[in-house]
Amino acid sequence: MEAIWLYQFRLIVIGDSTVGKSCLIRRFTEGRFTQVSDPTVGVDFFSRLVEIEPGKRIKLQIWDTAGQERFRSITRAYYRNSVGGLLLFDITNRRSFQNVHDWLEEARSHVQPHSIVFLLVGHKCDLEAQRQVTRQEAEKLAGAYGMRYVETSARDAINVEHAFTELTRDIFALVRSGDITIQEGWEGVKSGFVPNVVHSSEEVTKSDRRCLC
Amino acid sequence: MSDSDATAAEGAEVAPEIQKASPAETPDGSSPSAPDTSTDVAPTRKARRRPDVKPAPEAQEMPKVEEQPAKAPTPSESTVSQGGWGYWGSWGKSIISTATATVATVGQGLTQAIEKAETSLGIPSPTELSAQVEEEQNEHGESSGETDRAAGEGSAAVGGAMGMLSSLTSAVQSTGKTVLSGGLDALEFIGKKTMDVIAEGDPGFKKTKGLMNRNSTLSQVLREAKEREELQTAEKESSDSEKKVVAHYGMLFDEFQGLSHLEALEILSRESDSKVKSVLTTLSGDELVQLREQLDLIKDSFSLVEFDDEDVDEKKDEDGAEFERELAEALEGLSITATADKLGKACKSTRSRIADMSKPETEEEEEEEAVTKTPSVEEVHAAAIRSLAELTARSIELFHKLAEMILSSGGSTEASVLSQLTVLLCRELSLLSKKFTSCLTTAGSNEKGEVLNPLITGVFLEASNSASYIQDAFQLLRPIVEISHIQRRAESTEQ
Repeated sequence: MEAIWLYQFRLIVIGDSTVGKSCLIRRFTEGRFTQVSDPTVGVDFFSRLVEIEPGKRIKLQIWDTAGQERFRSITRAYYRNSVGGLLLFDITNRRSFQNVHDWLEEARSHVQPHSIVFLLVGHKCDLEAQRQVTRQEAEKLAGAYGMRYVETSARDAINVEHAFTELTRDIFALVRSGDITIQEGWEGVKSGFVPNVVHSSEEVTKSDRRCLC
Repeated sequence: MSDSDATAAEGAEVAPEIQKASPAETPDGSSPSAPDTSTDVAPTRKARRRPDVKPAPEAQEMPKVEEQPAKAPTPSESTVSQGGWGYWGSWGKSIISTATATVATVGQGLTQAIEKAETSLGIPSPTELSAQVEEEQNEHGESSGETDRAAGEGSAAVGGAMGMLSSLTSAVQSTGKTVLSGGLDALEFIGKKTMDVIAEGDPGFKKTKGLMNRNSTLSQVLREAKEREELQTAEKESSDSEKKVVAHYGMLFDEFQGLSHLEALEILSRESDSKVKSVLTTLSGDELVQLREQLDLIKDSFSLVEFDDEDVDEKKDEDGAEFERELAEALEGLSITATADKLGKACKSTRSRIADMSKPETEEEEEEEAVTKTPSVEEVHAAAIRSLAELTARSIELFHKLAEMILSSGGSTEASVLSQLTVLLCRELSLLSKKFTSCLTTAGSNEKGEVLNPLITGVFLEASNSASYIQDAFQLLRPIVEISHIQRRAESTEQ
């Protein structure tokens, strides 16, 4: 049922404007492709449950940020409380790929003292004919920053589910291992409610001393 | 790194004619000579009477009322809201003494606490009150008439409480002089008070010692309330599977992303606040004095929200067209049409839901089967809570988007526009909650009091909580308007 989940992860989705951030999230949370016309103002919110293992559900709270430059100073304020994120570029727009580095720098400097797990997403992979960024170079870049790389299409529903689940699994593994811990005053990871006696958050609080950051 | 950001410019302008709320007016026009219990507080804070601001009068009144509930104010026009106040105040107080540690969640806990308070005090049933509300609606309320009726109906204490509710109703209907502030504040007061009770009775509710003006943020309080509700739901589900569905305000509020918007708004507010402070430390001399004065002006316009609308000439606004028009007017030029549309839609659908639910009883002659379709009280209650949660979430989303537009466009936004908006939203919420309770009364005409009363009380309480969340969100905009003012000022001196 809706209310039962192990953890809540807060994810942030960033990247140049018009790369398709809102469309990707809507496909994931609403299961349909909407030709979003209005650019996002500041930040919008979506949420969905993901089952990473049978019976193990994670609630994802997704912060969909505006890509437009004029909102940059605002969206910066939102990074801090995210445990992970999707960094999008448009495979048909070379410029958006070149900006990946800047986005990453910006994000990393604003999540301090916490760390953030990113997944690099090459979006609009249905538009193969207009491709300006090869899979190889994207993978290379992702590798250089220690990220995974996934190509997605919100329109044709390619890899959308996969992208979010992979990221969620990665974060879950880090939480499990104690590399990421639940912290007071930080919204990145929250423990959920488990109806049975086994309260999984114990695993997390036990390993509180170790810190990744 | 990016492109198109040309659309911002138009956001700069603000309709000047909206500044209706004249700050100089007496907050409670009908009774200037009968100051309410919070006069010791700075007058600017009148619209937001909080329990912690006026502990003394309340403490005095409390024992009296508990022992002999018949002692209450004289039912003259000027003291109605005042009397209602005292009465509700002590009512809130006695909740404290009766509430127990089992009181757990905002939604459910409130009703339980209130129920308890009701039984122990023997106060009038909300059913009666709400029935009266309906009557008044028909008569289109003369405020003196309602007082007489209230007074004639038995104990004066009843009159006090009635007066309170009546003033809420008539404010909503706006028959000239209204005391919306009295009504809403009284409700708000109880809401806060009950929050405190819950916090005290519930150790899990650690940080709920108060709302923002104490040590935790509003979104934290709401988040914790929601988490409680989720936990309860989860527990309930694991124990007995088929219980009737209970409407949880907090969970619904989160479902509509109200919590997230609130949290994001808090982030922006906090950040702006520290920016303002750091700017102030870099200035000195005349420049500092000047800026301080300007910021004080902004501060003033944020403190001066009055809900007593002297100027209200609203009709009953049956279809909500009036509200939509006013909303559009207030938001003109603020470039957040998409969000405003969402709010408008939510209001519209709420109204049609209410219309649907109350249809069968509107002198049904043609359709007899309509009776079978009459919604149950639980259904009406759930719809009411859901609507309140949705409207509040949308309102907070609106404030959040406004904050983002103010910060990103650098355009000037008058605080008066924002306060106008706050008044508008609170008025709409109170109007709708009243309609819902009328609906409840109709739907529950065959129900026993102990079933119906808590539901009605619950709707009123969540409505009051909603109003205070909106007002708190409004306060969060202050540092944002301040920093935007500072930035514009800096730009103009550079040129």
